[in-house]
Amino acid sequence: MTAQITIHTEGLTKHYGDVRALVDLDLDVYAGEVLGFLGPNGAGKTTAIRTLLDEIRPTAGRAEILGMDTHESAVEIRRHIGYVPGDLALYPNLTGRDTLTYFANLRGGVDWSHVDELTRRLDADLSKKVGDLSSGNRQKVGVIQAFMNRPDVLVMDEPSAGLDPLVQREFQAMMREVAAEGRTVFLSSHTLSEVQRVADRVGIIRHGRLVAVESVADLRSKAMRRIELEFDSPVEASVFGAVPGVREITVEDHRAVLTYDGKMDVLLKTVADRYDLVDITTREADLEEIFLTYYRDEVNA
Amino acid sequence: MLANVFTKSTWDRWRGTTIAVVSLTVMLLFAMAVYRDIDLAIYTDLPEALRAMMNIPDGADVGSLAIGVLYGLYGAFTLAALALSMGSAAIAGEERRGTIGILLANPKSRTHVLAAKTAAMVLLIGAATLVLWGAAHVVPAILDVDMTGMRVGPYAFHLFVNALFYGFLAMAIGAWTGSRPAASGATVAVMVVSYFAVSVFPLVEGWENVARAFPWYYFDRANPVINGVHWGHIGLLVAASAIFLVAAAVGVNRRDLKDQEVGVTLIDRLRANPMTQKVADRLAGSTRVSRIWIKTASEHQGLLLVTALVMFFMMGVMMGPFYTLFDQTVLEFADEFPEAILAAVGGGDMSTAEGWYQVETFGLMAPIAVMVVTVAIGARALAGEEARRTMGLLLANPIPRSRVVLEKAWAMTVYGLAVGLATFAGVAAGSLLGRLGMDIGDIAATSLLVTLLGLAFGGLALSLSAATGRVKIAVFAPIAAALGFHLLNAFLPLNDSLAGYARWSPFYYYLTSDPLTNGMHWGHGAVLAGLTVALVGLSVVLFQRRDLRQPG
Repeated sequence: MTAQITIHTEGLTKHYGDVRALVDLDLDVYAGEVLGFLGPNGAGKTTAIRTLLDEIRPTAGRAEILGMDTHESAVEIRRHIGYVPGDLALYPNLTGRDTLTYFANLRGGVDWSHVDELTRRLDADLSKKVGDLSSGNRQKVGVIQAFMNRPDVLVMDEPSAGLDPLVQREFQAMMREVAAEGRTVFLSSHTLSEVQRVADRVGIIRHGRLVAVESVADLRSKAMRRIELEFDSPVEASVFGAVPGVREITVEDHRAVLTYDGKMDVLLKTVADRYDLVDITTREADLEEIFLTYYRDEVNA
Repeated sequence: MLANVFTKSTWDRWRGTTIAVVSLTVMLLFAMAVYRDIDLAIYTDLPEALRAMMNIPDGADVGSLAIGVLYGLYGAFTLAALALSMGSAAIAGEERRGTIGILLANPKSRTHVLAAKTAAMVLLIGAATLVLWGAAHVVPAILDVDMTGMRVGPYAFHLFVNALFYGFLAMAIGAWTGSRPAASGATVAVMVVSYFAVSVFPLVEGWENVARAFPWYYFDRANPVINGVHWGHIGLLVAASAIFLVAAAVGVNRRDLKDQEVGVTLIDRLRANPMTQKVADRLAGSTRVSRIWIKTASEHQGLLLVTALVMFFMMGVMMGPFYTLFDQTVLEFADEFPEAILAAVGGGDMSTAEGWYQVETFGLMAPIAVMVVTVAIGARALAGEEARRTMGLLLANPIPRSRVVLEKAWAMTVYGLAVGLATFAGVAAGSLLGRLGMDIGDIAATSLLVTLLGLAFGGLALSLSAATGRVKIAVFAPIAAALGFHLLNAFLPLNDSLAGYARWSPFYYYLTSDPLTNGMHWGHGAVLAGLTVALVGLSVVLFQRRDLRQPG
């Protein structure tokens, strides 16, 4: 990729006493992409984000945003980023509009017509006190706050928590637009369907270590497919077991269910030689299965 | 079953209760040790009016004086405050935290929860009373103080019943309104007003019996430490408590539970009203959020308002005319006070208006008032935003951490000055009203010095807030430091060889120069201001170096 690197970390490490919350994180995020940052609870996602924001300081290693050191140039960097913290908390006694005004005053250069547009798109209510809003409606205020000054880099920790499905769609569209304009979105999430829909690449973190960074397309193509085959006569499991790439086999009379990561051509030729194929159902693995595959190893290990 | 809510409620509170009673015990030890070594005639020969105000019993000796002042004043207020804090937290506190829903999702009725909270309150106040009762036996034994004729048991019983009265009152208000601030605020108001009423009305001829209308009367006006339990008074307090408890049970069962609460302030109502909306919007909205320090200040406006009003009216304006009403014998008598003892109660020669204001207003109340505001802002400034998890978002803006610290310090300074100004205006007005002829410049100097003193302790709170990110540490450590330094400054000068060490206490730089008579002591003012600046500077450094906390 020739695109400019906007977020760069080198051996970024954070220990809390004996707890190694983040270990040797090496990661590059490029302009014009949405990077999905995936991992179970306590994997180190929030620690990584808080280090990028200079809320906490790394035990070792360093990070850069837009070519500037995240600690040395923390203030300058913050002119160019939008941030939605995890488990968002706002000032309960301020209305949504007061909250945005406050941050706009601190930030400078906010275009209020853009704020109005974001408010309309997310269907947010800025007239009520934040403390009186439901968590989803409060989250909208946090999201508007992050988008309102058209930042070059958006860093968001579980931003769609509490948003209803319609608003989530709109929010995803907003993230895609940001990427399309050549800006960067760093999205930490549990919502795999969301990451699948908006992310160009995903980074998977586990026990504080980055275990994979790949494009969503590559991950999917590598992933196991689940195939259901139906025949006009009873079949034997051994026929399928002979095909390289076939993993799990369940045979029930006329039906066989396989997980397979080889070429479809090889499988079909082999079985069609032996039996009459009546029906075939295959489904592309979704991110959830990939995700579970990564973490199943962990359970087994 | 009930044991769960009961044990949790008890567990949540035992530390605070323990700290409170241990502190009282230490203070009792300290007071008895001091009283033992001085000639008590200066207290016992006081005119009755003054003795009543200072809670000094007739024929006081070391034991009854210490018990009367320590338990009758500090002890009674502390126990009642503990009880009302538990009472107001019982239902309204869980609503405010938003935990009442999950608590009542369990198969427990509202009445059961209330009963468990009541049991926890009674148990803790009972245990605290027992400790005080024990201390009243052990401390005199250690110091070899004669307690003959003193009935500590009945006195402790009165303390206990009196404290629970305020606990149940707060519980009832909380159960009906679901608002913890309303419950504790109203109960504190009842407590303080009735305490003052019971101290003042008996001094005014023809109005003596009005005091009976106030609940504090039934705590110790029957002098239980000498006369034993007064069952009539106890019966009244217990009956009232029972009514409050029933009211609480009815209240909590008949109303809708609140979700997490957001206070509605006067300005919110003005904003909702179309007539005033425009002005109120500007005040509450765009102005409030225009700067970090203005927003910080706006969060403490209620505290400032109450503190400033108390200092202006009660401690300022009212004290002037009150002085002129005072019996001249008191004033003549005051001439005979040894200087060292006067220093202990804030200095001041009571035969002059300046001395009167020094003892009544500037000695204790003014430092407390300024510190309440400065320590509250200083402690919450950084640690409060971290506890509420808004600091990360605030610092995601292009502003350095140092600016956040400095703006918060500025909010603290402005509010400290406001309390100082209210005190100055109140005392100046009181002096005019009572035609006391005090020097305006001297009043201003003293008000400025007390503001600087309060700012120094606010600076300490800010430093601790910056260093630890923990509100509790940042609130309680400065309070403890203030108490300790005050006692050092008050008592070290009583001993000639130790007097020099009083310079290590910030309080030394407040009243030692007698600014109400001598005017501003710029050197002392500079010491306090320098201390504040140094502590704010330290806060900047400490906050920049540290990881932000992320409470779960």
